[in-house]
Amino acid sequence: MKKSLLAIALLTAAFGTSAPLTASAKDISLLNVSYDPTRELYQDFNAAFSKFWLSKTGDKVTIKASHGGSGKQARAIIDGLDADVATLALAYDVDQLQEKGKLIPKDWQTRLPHNSSPYTSTIVLLVRKGNPKNIKDWDDLIKPGVSVITPNPKTSGGARWNYLAAWAYAQKHDGNDEAKTKEFIGKLFKNVPVLDTGARGSTTTFVERGIGDVLLAWENEAFLAQKELGVGKFEIVVPSLSILAEPPVTVVDKFAKKHGTEVVAKAYLDYLYTEEGQEIAAKNYYRPTLASVAKKYESQFPKVNLVKIDEDFGGWQTAQKKHFADGGTFDQIYQK
Amino acid sequence: MQFKFTKFATALIVSGIVSLPLIAHANDSSELEELRALVQQLDQKIKVLDRKNELAEEAAAIRKQETPVITSNQDKYNSGFGIQSADGQNKIQFGGLVQLDNRQYPSANEGNTSGFDVRRIRPIVQGTLDGIYDFKFAPEYGDNKVASSSTNGGIADAFVNARFKPWLQVQAGKFAPDVGLERLESSNFNKFIELSTISNNFVPNRDIGVSLHGDIINNKLYYAVGLYQGVVDGGDSITSQSYNGNNEYSARVFATPFKGDDSVLAGLGFGIAATHDNGTGSDIASTSYASTGFVANSGLPGYKTPGQESTFFAYNATTSASGNRNRVTPQAYFYYGPFGVIAEYARVSQNVSGVLDGGSLTGARSSADLHNNAWEITGSWLLTGENATHNKPVSPNSPFSTNGGGWGAWELVARFQETNIDQNAYAYAAKGTSLTTSSVNTTTLANSSTAGIEAQSAKTWGLGVNWYLSKNLKLATNYEVTSFNSFAGQTGTTRPDEKFIDSRLQLAF
Repeated sequence: MKKSLLAIALLTAAFGTSAPLTASAKDISLLNVSYDPTRELYQDFNAAFSKFWLSKTGDKVTIKASHGGSGKQARAIIDGLDADVATLALAYDVDQLQEKGKLIPKDWQTRLPHNSSPYTSTIVLLVRKGNPKNIKDWDDLIKPGVSVITPNPKTSGGARWNYLAAWAYAQKHDGNDEAKTKEFIGKLFKNVPVLDTGARGSTTTFVERGIGDVLLAWENEAFLAQKELGVGKFEIVVPSLSILAEPPVTVVDKFAKKHGTEVVAKAYLDYLYTEEGQEIAAKNYYRPTLASVAKKYESQFPKVNLVKIDEDFGGWQTAQKKHFADGGTFDQIYQK
Repeated sequence: MQFKFTKFATALIVSGIVSLPLIAHANDSSELEELRALVQQLDQKIKVLDRKNELAEEAAAIRKQETPVITSNQDKYNSGFGIQSADGQNKIQFGGLVQLDNRQYPSANEGNTSGFDVRRIRPIVQGTLDGIYDFKFAPEYGDNKVASSSTNGGIADAFVNARFKPWLQVQAGKFAPDVGLERLESSNFNKFIELSTISNNFVPNRDIGVSLHGDIINNKLYYAVGLYQGVVDGGDSITSQSYNGNNEYSARVFATPFKGDDSVLAGLGFGIAATHDNGTGSDIASTSYASTGFVANSGLPGYKTPGQESTFFAYNATTSASGNRNRVTPQAYFYYGPFGVIAEYARVSQNVSGVLDGGSLTGARSSADLHNNAWEITGSWLLTGENATHNKPVSPNSPFSTNGGGWGAWELVARFQETNIDQNAYAYAAKGTSLTTSSVNTTTLANSSTAGIEAQSAKTWGLGVNWYLSKNLKLATNYEVTSFNSFAGQTGTTRPDEKFIDSRLQLAF
């Protein structure tokens, strides 16, 4: 009798404590903290991954997404927004997760193919239908009376790509005369009436609020605006030179470990590199890195002469310090 | 010539007629273009201003989410004033408790003195860090009769509680151990001005240690296990290391099976707690007998009367703890609408040793187990209809106001309690080589030197009324009568009844 009671007590204790753990293992929640214009991409991708993971493991995974300016999002993660994965606009912001938050290992960028950038993009110019200001290239943006919309490089990853693309163009045309390049960028930003904190905010300013003559935009964002947000109202102008934007992704190890989601978080990012993941990226106007998918969607993306962050700016750490850190070229130019 | 002039004039006139509209048209078109451009410029400027305003509002909304919030009268802490981060993860509250008492003893009582008494003054700082780590620091000033402030450091509470999960919490520091039900209530929520004999004379008041505790089974079962320095019955731990180096272990479970249900039993809670210690007291030859019954380092308590000013039982100055001390205390409460009942029973088994008859304090001793017990039941009724609850403030439906407001909340309370000391405390004397029943009283385990003071049992009934002027201000008056019984065989007069009128002004914020 006593043994029976003891057995019942032990079983009750065992089931009482283990039942909730078992239930939570079947119902997984992931948080993807991303940059501004990836809303549509990850909406499609998350649905596909959930379906894939359910069929593979039987586990239901619910993915929550947070979007905002890439720099702001990185700071939010460092400040405690416990993201399982971060899919940001540029490597510098992910570096911050390591340097300031110690949330990921130093070698994070080597853990996935293509420097952990499953898709790429570039910067183009979006103008209103008929291109009333006859904008064809970067030097048209500094003309008096041209209103340029771009977000704030201090908070937006896209804005930093915009800035560097314009800088690369000016540098090339000014024969590497930095003073003239700074003057060029200064004139450009004098034509910017509103600085949004993120790329999606700038799209709203240009597309929905009707402000400005030209939007400096991610290529995917420009396609989205042209084909879905305002059909027939906008035209894409491909500049003579732009920059190869490589938005990186990473598991946020510390938080994933805390949540017990390391495996599914890694699988989530791996899935971005699969054919299905790459198809979803391409359909959302991101340039795929998988050769077969890239070839399939080749005609969708215009050929552009692209500079690269590592080759032309010495990498993100150097570029950030020179241009976007406090007292950098942007501060010097924008305060004038 | 005439013709030529006429033709020329006509030509001029015609050209003028023709050209006038053309000039006018050209001027209109130019102005229209200018106007159109101006309107477009103004439109852009307005749109830019609107957008900037929109962005400023968004930024303000974000700042608001990040701006710390000043708080007051938070239920969790029973008021106080504080500041907390916008996400509520970090907060600090400043509160206080002031209790000003007036004690009256209508009939002559041993050791009791009428008069005003600042019972407690507690500044309270408490809060939460990172949404997990709660902390509380409450120094105490006033007439704390449990232990002198020189030994407890004048600190009522100083602890950190880590809430890793609702079912996994760790608390460390100085605090009320999870043993007595009434003792675990904040002092400002107790129904009677003074605690029952269970809280005052049997279960630990405050101790230093660590407790693993939490809520399980949908928050309907609370558990706690603890490791403490160990204190005498009703004792308050000193803030330095224990004199005997022993630890006390405690465990408590408390069930509220119908909590949150739409049931008349929703306010029912019951449980049981126990402690174990194996401490020894040191010889106390040079220590004079204290009026409170405490003898330093004896490891044994003195049991106070409800009047708080004196003890009705204490051990002989030659008696000390010499082994196991086990407490067990079943406990329950029930609240329904304005009615509340709380009941507790406690039994303590204490191994004590006494000096052998005729021997010296440092010489041979012999020990025995003594078993003391007590029980109490307290009922309360909020006449003004507020709901009675456990360990929460009474919030009057109509706070008292002289400007056309209400009369606050009024509550009647009643209590009966009884304490019984093991007869062997008096009967046993160290004689020969062991403790035996003795007819000689000089070396009994109990302090039997003063006839008419020591008693074997005490029974108390009490009535009271509480007036809650507001959530923070309370006036209370209690009347309690205690009758005592002597030990069997005890010579001399029996301790007279204690009649005790206690009044309190309490400010808690």
